[in-house]
Amino acid sequence: MSDIDIELVSVCKTFGDFRAVNDVSLSVPKGEFVSLLGPSGCGKTTTLNMIAGFQEPTSGEIRIRGNCQTRTPPEKRNIGLVFQNYALFPHMTVAENVGFGLRMKGAPRAEIDQAVKAALKSVHLEGLDARYPKELSGGQQQRTALARAIAPKPSVLLLDEPLSNLDLKLREAMRVELKEIQEKLGMTFVYVTHDQEEAMAMSDRVVVMAGGVIAQQGRPEAIYNSPATSFVADFIGKSNILPVAVKQAAGDRREISIGGTPLTLRVEGDASTLATAKFCCIRPEDVRVVDNGAQPLPDDNVFDGTIAKIVNLGAHLDLWVSVDPGMTIKALVRSNRSGTLKTGQPITVSIGAKAIRLLDR
Amino acid sequence: MNRALSGLYWLSLTLILLFITLPLLVVVAASLSPSSAVTFAPSEWTFKWYGALWANKWLNPFLLSLKIALVVSFLSGVLGALAAYAIAYEKCPGSAAIMAFLLSPLAVPQIVKGVAIVLFLSSAGFYMLLGTPGLIAAHIVLTLPFAARMIATSIYNFDRNLDRAAQILGASKWQRIRHILLPLVKPGVFSGMTFAFIISFNNIPLSVFLVRPGQTTLPITVINYMEYSLDPVLAAVNVASLIFILATIFLFEKLGGFSAQIHGGSK
Amino acid sequence: MSAVVTEMPAAAPKGRRSSLGGYVPLVPPLTVLLIFFAIPIGMMIGISFQDPKTAAWSLVSYEKFFTDNLMIAGLLRTLVMSGLVAICVTVMAYPVGYFLARSTSRWRAVVFALAIAPELAGVVLRTYGWLIILEDRGFINDALIWSGIVLSPLPLAKNLFGVVVGLTHVVLPFGILAIMTSIQGIDPNLEKAAQILGASRLSVLRHVVFPLSVPGIVSSLLISFTMAASAYATPALLGGARFKVLATMIYEQIMFYTNWPMAAVMALVLLVLMLAFSFAGTRAETRLHKKLNV
Repeated sequence: MSDIDIELVSVCKTFGDFRAVNDVSLSVPKGEFVSLLGPSGCGKTTTLNMIAGFQEPTSGEIRIRGNCQTRTPPEKRNIGLVFQNYALFPHMTVAENVGFGLRMKGAPRAEIDQAVKAALKSVHLEGLDARYPKELSGGQQQRTALARAIAPKPSVLLLDEPLSNLDLKLREAMRVELKEIQEKLGMTFVYVTHDQEEAMAMSDRVVVMAGGVIAQQGRPEAIYNSPATSFVADFIGKSNILPVAVKQAAGDRREISIGGTPLTLRVEGDASTLATAKFCCIRPEDVRVVDNGAQPLPDDNVFDGTIAKIVNLGAHLDLWVSVDPGMTIKALVRSNRSGTLKTGQPITVSIGAKAIRLLDR
Repeated sequence: MNRALSGLYWLSLTLILLFITLPLLVVVAASLSPSSAVTFAPSEWTFKWYGALWANKWLNPFLLSLKIALVVSFLSGVLGALAAYAIAYEKCPGSAAIMAFLLSPLAVPQIVKGVAIVLFLSSAGFYMLLGTPGLIAAHIVLTLPFAARMIATSIYNFDRNLDRAAQILGASKWQRIRHILLPLVKPGVFSGMTFAFIISFNNIPLSVFLVRPGQTTLPITVINYMEYSLDPVLAAVNVASLIFILATIFLFEKLGGFSAQIHGGSK
Repeated sequence: MSAVVTEMPAAAPKGRRSSLGGYVPLVPPLTVLLIFFAIPIGMMIGISFQDPKTAAWSLVSYEKFFTDNLMIAGLLRTLVMSGLVAICVTVMAYPVGYFLARSTSRWRAVVFALAIAPELAGVVLRTYGWLIILEDRGFINDALIWSGIVLSPLPLAKNLFGVVVGLTHVVLPFGILAIMTSIQGIDPNLEKAAQILGASRLSVLRHVVFPLSVPGIVSSLLISFTMAASAYATPALLGGARFKVLATMIYEQIMFYTNWPMAAVMALVLLVLMLAFSFAGTRAETRLHKKLNV
């Protein structure tokens, strides 16, 4: 008995000339919450469909609980799946929907009733068992779909953008709740989403996919703090991604110059990283506004510029700071400055050398 | 200007609706008129013409039409569902061409289909099929395309994710057909069957070639009678068969619930 | 984008690689259509090339059809009648279709029921209704004579007029549905946009709704024409012996003259006529749809 619940070994899927999934290998240990994150067309849904068995890999192998699944149809894989549109059976009540999986497996009546009750309890839907799906709110339908998927107690649950049809408030509440349910059941969750906040909020591990391949995988904070590529840096959170033109290393001092501008930046990092760097990434929250209250540190990069644009986000402001005709840097600052900041006003910003990440692609 | 225009619009709408309802109103009025010559503005009402319907002359054709329509409706439902299943659910290769063949009878005028079938039965040695069996076969050729198309549409509208959801929950193919597909396309099957029933029950252009003495459907009996007389018993027959059809639709709808489909209940 | 499109066919659940199994359900319905539709049509085409007397191969029935004045007159009568019906139906269907597509009042359901209900009543009831309205001693003549407007009954039935009235009534619901569907497909915001730009109600109709509903008009004309040309019962009863069209003449050939080859030729002429009109109409519709981007 392996502790790996799902294993993908060099899985490829092609549709004609189009490579939807290209050599993806992944192993998901028991009880882990893994997100497959990426823009539409990145291959995440195809990967999910292959795990579920609705599509067959062109090459490679999928193992569930250590067993190769190539010849196993979806109905024999014993995994759960929550659909984006919930796919609740409209002609069945909530209880019938939730009990469907066990009924198909021929479980006795009493066992079904008990499992339905337990599943509805764990998603906080007690008392709605006699309703039909169309009599439920969007959030209740979503919970019913979840209850239906977990009622037969699969060891793996696949979720295909399950929150995307809910409104923002409910979506944020459900993130917390989904994570709680997952931890309580100890079930392995494979969660497909294009919403990076969702993936960051819930996952033990985020797998960023792009163009059919895995761009990066790791803990959410590791992906945010150390994106491996400019794509990941751009897709996860906000960032300034600047082309790197000339690189210099003199003793401890390492400098890069930004393509198309006369600006140079002091950076940190080893010689090989510097040598291969093509882009650098700066998170907007690492760009600080220099004023009387906040002086730059001695090693910081300091630029004088003007405010090109201000976007009010409520608690924060997005500033577009033009530091050179060829370069505008986005900065994220607290809103209590809003009275003092105006478009066109001169401003000084500082960026710590540590906050600049060098990327080789 | 605008007011004159909208007045004209409402006037034309009213007149057109009057045109649509006029013959129906006239027939209902005639069926209640006491004199045997149908006249303008009768002064009294009577139900005697309806009483006259309770004779073999009208009952036998009615029963034959009913029998044919029921068989045609049932077979159209079964055959249409089989075809629609293969085309819309299994999506077997070439299904577009097969659908085109299934719908091809719609492109052929009924009278032409009637000629073709009567020539086929007469010259290929199937004389014995003239009459009821021939009527049933001919009506099915007419109704099957409609039924197949209606059922196929309801299978196309069927959310494939429901099938996948059932599959991942462990349902085998037969279990999915029985518990998911059939209950959800049932309204489509029933609306196809209702349609087939009405078309068969009212049919003239095919039946006119295939009826035999003693095996004549109700509409053909009525038009044959009309050649000689327009007396109000015809009005009564027509009104009674309209009421019968409305009752049948009501019954089918109770069984199949296809109005739910129209109101988006199955989605 | 292409990823989404190409994923669709492959998304079919697996476990049904039994390649020919999928075709099994098609056997009964296709057999029925083959025996009672395809083979009969094939035989009818064969019979049309037979000599009525000797059953040898010959073109005599075709020759006779296209040289016989009675036949050509029947064909022309069919075309004129169908053309008139198509125009009447479309003109009458437009206001009703527009109302059904755009009205939100509670009368909409009533009008819809009134427009469609006659279809349930069948052709016989409606034709009988028109007969007792239009015939010499019918409602209209009765009323006209009673009020002294005319002295002898007007010839309203058993002629072109009667048949066109009856067929217009029979086909009208289909025209209404065609127009309604087409107008429903026009974004109501276009009308609002035109109004806000200062167009009067009439200009909105003329410059926005009407041009965009042309495909619906074409489809209404097409369906009315083909339904009228292939109708049997209404011309038979309202036209009678004095107004014969192809459909009723075909019936005579089979039932009275038992001239099968001639009936087959006439049926084929009607069929080819229908197919040609449907083909031309469908092409026009597709072109219009492309042009209007709707």
